[in-house]
Amino acid sequence: MIESGPSVEVINVRKVYPSGDGQRAVLDGASATIRAGERVAIIGPSGSGKSTLLNLLSGIDEPDSGTIEINGLDLRSLSENQRTLFRRNQIGFVFQSFNLLPALTVLENLLLPLELIGKTGNEANERARFLLEMVELSKRADSFPDRLSGGEQQRVAIARAVVHEPSLLLADEPTGNLDEDTSHRLMERLEDLLTSGKTTLVMVTHSRDLADRMDRALALDHGGLVEY
Amino acid sequence: MQLLNKASVRYLQQHRFQSVLSLLGVALGVAVVLSIDLAIQSARIGFQVSAETVAGLATHSIQSDRGSIDEQFFTRLKLDLDITEAAPVVEGLVTSTSLPGRTLKILGLDPFSEGPFRPYTSGSSSSLDVNQFITTQGGVILTEELASEGGLSKGDSIVIFSSGVRWALPIVGLFQSEDRLTRSGLSDVLVMDISGAQEVFDMVGSLTRIDLRILDSERSYERTIGEITDNLPSGLRLENIGTRSETMAGMIRAFDVNLTALSLLAIVFGMFLIYNSMTFSVVSRRTSFGRLRALGVTRNEILRLILREAFWVGTVGTVIGLALGVFLAQGLIGLITQTINDLYFALSVREISIDTVSLLKALTLGIGATVLSSLPPALEAAGSTPRAASTRSIIESKTRRVIPMLAWSGLALCLLGWLVLFLPTRSLSVSFISLFAIITGMAAITPLGTIVLVELVQPTLSAWFGTLGSMAARGIRTTLSRTAPAIAALVIAVSVTVGLGIMINSFRGTLINWLDGTLQADLYVSLPGPQASRASGTLSESLINDFVSADGVVGYSTYRAVDVIRAEDTYRLVALKLDQRGEGAFDFQSGDSDAIIRDFQLSRGAIVSEPYAYQRQLDVGDSISLAGEKSARSLPILGVFYDYGSEQGTIIVSRDLYNRAYNDKGVTSLGLFLDDSSKSDRVVQDLLSKVPVGREVTVRSNATLRSASLEVFDRTFKVTGVLRLLTFIVAFVGVLSALTALQMERTHELGLLRASGLTPAQLWRLVVGQSGLMGLIAGVLAIPVGILLSVVMISVINKRSFGWSIQMQIDPQVIIQGIALAFFAALLAGIYPAFRMANTSPSVALRRISE
Repeated sequence: MIESGPSVEVINVRKVYPSGDGQRAVLDGASATIRAGERVAIIGPSGSGKSTLLNLLSGIDEPDSGTIEINGLDLRSLSENQRTLFRRNQIGFVFQSFNLLPALTVLENLLLPLELIGKTGNEANERARFLLEMVELSKRADSFPDRLSGGEQQRVAIARAVVHEPSLLLADEPTGNLDEDTSHRLMERLEDLLTSGKTTLVMVTHSRDLADRMDRALALDHGGLVEY
Repeated sequence: MQLLNKASVRYLQQHRFQSVLSLLGVALGVAVVLSIDLAIQSARIGFQVSAETVAGLATHSIQSDRGSIDEQFFTRLKLDLDITEAAPVVEGLVTSTSLPGRTLKILGLDPFSEGPFRPYTSGSSSSLDVNQFITTQGGVILTEELASEGGLSKGDSIVIFSSGVRWALPIVGLFQSEDRLTRSGLSDVLVMDISGAQEVFDMVGSLTRIDLRILDSERSYERTIGEITDNLPSGLRLENIGTRSETMAGMIRAFDVNLTALSLLAIVFGMFLIYNSMTFSVVSRRTSFGRLRALGVTRNEILRLILREAFWVGTVGTVIGLALGVFLAQGLIGLITQTINDLYFALSVREISIDTVSLLKALTLGIGATVLSSLPPALEAAGSTPRAASTRSIIESKTRRVIPMLAWSGLALCLLGWLVLFLPTRSLSVSFISLFAIITGMAAITPLGTIVLVELVQPTLSAWFGTLGSMAARGIRTTLSRTAPAIAALVIAVSVTVGLGIMINSFRGTLINWLDGTLQADLYVSLPGPQASRASGTLSESLINDFVSADGVVGYSTYRAVDVIRAEDTYRLVALKLDQRGEGAFDFQSGDSDAIIRDFQLSRGAIVSEPYAYQRQLDVGDSISLAGEKSARSLPILGVFYDYGSEQGTIIVSRDLYNRAYNDKGVTSLGLFLDDSSKSDRVVQDLLSKVPVGREVTVRSNATLRSASLEVFDRTFKVTGVLRLLTFIVAFVGVLSALTALQMERTHELGLLRASGLTPAQLWRLVVGQSGLMGLIAGVLAIPVGILLSVVMISVINKRSFGWSIQMQIDPQVIIQGIALAFFAALLAGIYPAFRMANTSPSVALRRISE
């Protein structure tokens, strides 16, 4: 399954948040290596730092210490603006709460990441419509997100995350709000979309079933990452 | 970034009510500023065009302080000094029954001298037959427009009143000039032969001025000027043309600056409104911005997106504001020219001149203010991390952290503004800058004040209304990023209203006290004139004799007023024969009143008004000069008296001193003292019966003159009242916008409350109660701010503008009105969101995807 894509290197990462009068280290000495094209699940109890890790991998947040390298590129060496441009080009993100833009239609939500990387016109339109077909939502292309069910919204979110063919796809409990049946179908869709094997997938999940579908799983334990 | 722009447009469309309020805020702010600017500019342009048209191609004029030159000097000028291009002019103001409410200017010209001066007097631009013009006694020419407004045509007579005397003047011609400016400049002018004008103004043998054409290019220029100056009799002076009109236009500078500053307040409120709207629009889309940032949209792209949105809101709002401003200016021009007419000089402008510079200024101001006030929320949105942008609590905790610093900065700004007031300058702009600094500083302190007041009332509300009461209070504190700007806008709007209210009341009270002291005579006699607030013309000697010897009259004072308008100085010179009974009329700033009046009566010097002394930085013991036709002399200032009649300042000398300096025996008005047994009404009837047929004289009792003066005062403050109302409307729209935004943002939370069992009525009470509480807080905070503003306006701005001392009077009614205004405005603003929220199904409210 492993073909190409960035390798993810997490080296001795520490991230602290204020807690009450003091501070709490959510990640403390976390290290891991994820090979290009690999599909990895991150598991751990609530509050163990799973989402924080994804935010750090995407450059949305910065570690207090330690290094995160994506395909050999140290994110700390990038300015905020460079990190944003890196994210726009290289990363796709599926959020637990869908995070669709309510002012844009379903199709437009998919077109936005393409527009951000300079792809517009017919080519972009065809790509977005193709993905909508893949997630069986072609008929809802012109609907606004608040007209869709939870499952439909998450399918749009997945399609949006891969529409610009990112090398790293981060998914934060993508099925957390969905029932078992819908979750299962959604994962199938996601796997369909990633058949090219070019995209590395890091997925945070509570579900052992979902974790079992990945190449391997890492568990967050006392701020560190361990093989599960 | 087409999709981002599309999302922006959709957002504005989806929040239509908010968008309309934003546009309205910009539009109203721009409209108020533009309308004041246009109205004042139009008054200035109207005055300028009229002055230039009347002056024609003259380069210089010979003027006299009194407006009266012996016509023999004109003959000397032509024959002895060989000045060929000179034209005698007699002019004055009259009223006409054919054109009620209009002040007309009679321009008396000598057709034989006019050649090089006023082309419109030649036969080609009017249906004028020069022979008929000269031979028809009192014949006048006027514009076709003026004639048609009065329903007059050639051959008819126009009835005019000059110094109370009725004249029927035959119309011998109508101007048909194709030049719009000429027609506009002559829109209130009646041109007649100089001899006729001399009769109308009782100036036979005298001229108002002599126009000259001395071209700079001529080699003999300096010599000619020197010759004329050397030969000028005492009391006359040679002026460049335009100097007089520029000087007169300069008289309204303080009035202009004050109105402009007041109109700028509307923009300040407009900026608050935009700031509120944009903050709301940013805060309510913080999740969207967070999502966009997570998708890879950069900070600069977010910043540009918000500023672009503000630019378009500003542009559309400004364009609407420009149209509204032009419309509003049509209404204001009447009020402004009326005030100028009442307080400064006769002016009749009915049309506004749409000046491109004013439009561009308003355009820049509107768009600039909108973009500028959007900058803080735009920077906030662009500067935050994708995670922080989507977390409300982070924004609120950031706001709470900023509040103490904001309050300190506000305090520092207030202190700085206050200190600037003590700088040794009399600049009005500096005064207004410090006033704006104080206002802005106070706005910055408001959030802290809000927290303190909420803490104070929360236990009471909790005790009275239970959890809902507590929630209403706590909601204000926990959403300070939204509530504080709204409360600050309301505080400033109400404080300005309170400040202006206290100032106007104080001024009115001071004026009443002053009138009570000044109006000592029982009856006042004057001629009806074009300016309601000041007597003009000359009472006939026989009439004065008849009046002062009438039954019941035991004493009299005479008053002669001359408006001295010079390039270097402008003031009113008054010659006063003061009856012993009227000696208490003056309230002096310092010194022994009895001794000052005694010296005055003995012609040992002059007394001057407070504005005169203040503006020229003079005091008792300093000297002023009195230069008349007969003699020029320096006089010591005996005393400085409080006076609210003229901001240019007044010099009063005894009649005896005046007679020694001027060839003028005239009396402008008369104050009569009656014996105790005489009833003023009966004496008035008696006096009026002595007035010959065809003449008009105004005889007013002390009380009538007092109320007429107050009427002029109230009329003067009408413009301020209109501006006060308009700025309040802008502020109200701001509060409405902020409260609507606040409640709309709480859709999910309120939906949750409904789902938890709150009835629509309870929800209604919660939302309206919270709005009312915000209004009440704003009202309470506005009172000290309003009082502070009134102190600055009364003690500094007013003093620097007009030189008047005003005794501060705080009427409790103004305070109560202020609090009530804030409370009800906020309550009213809460009704729409309350209605909307109460009628929204909980399921819909809960389902709504957050922006």
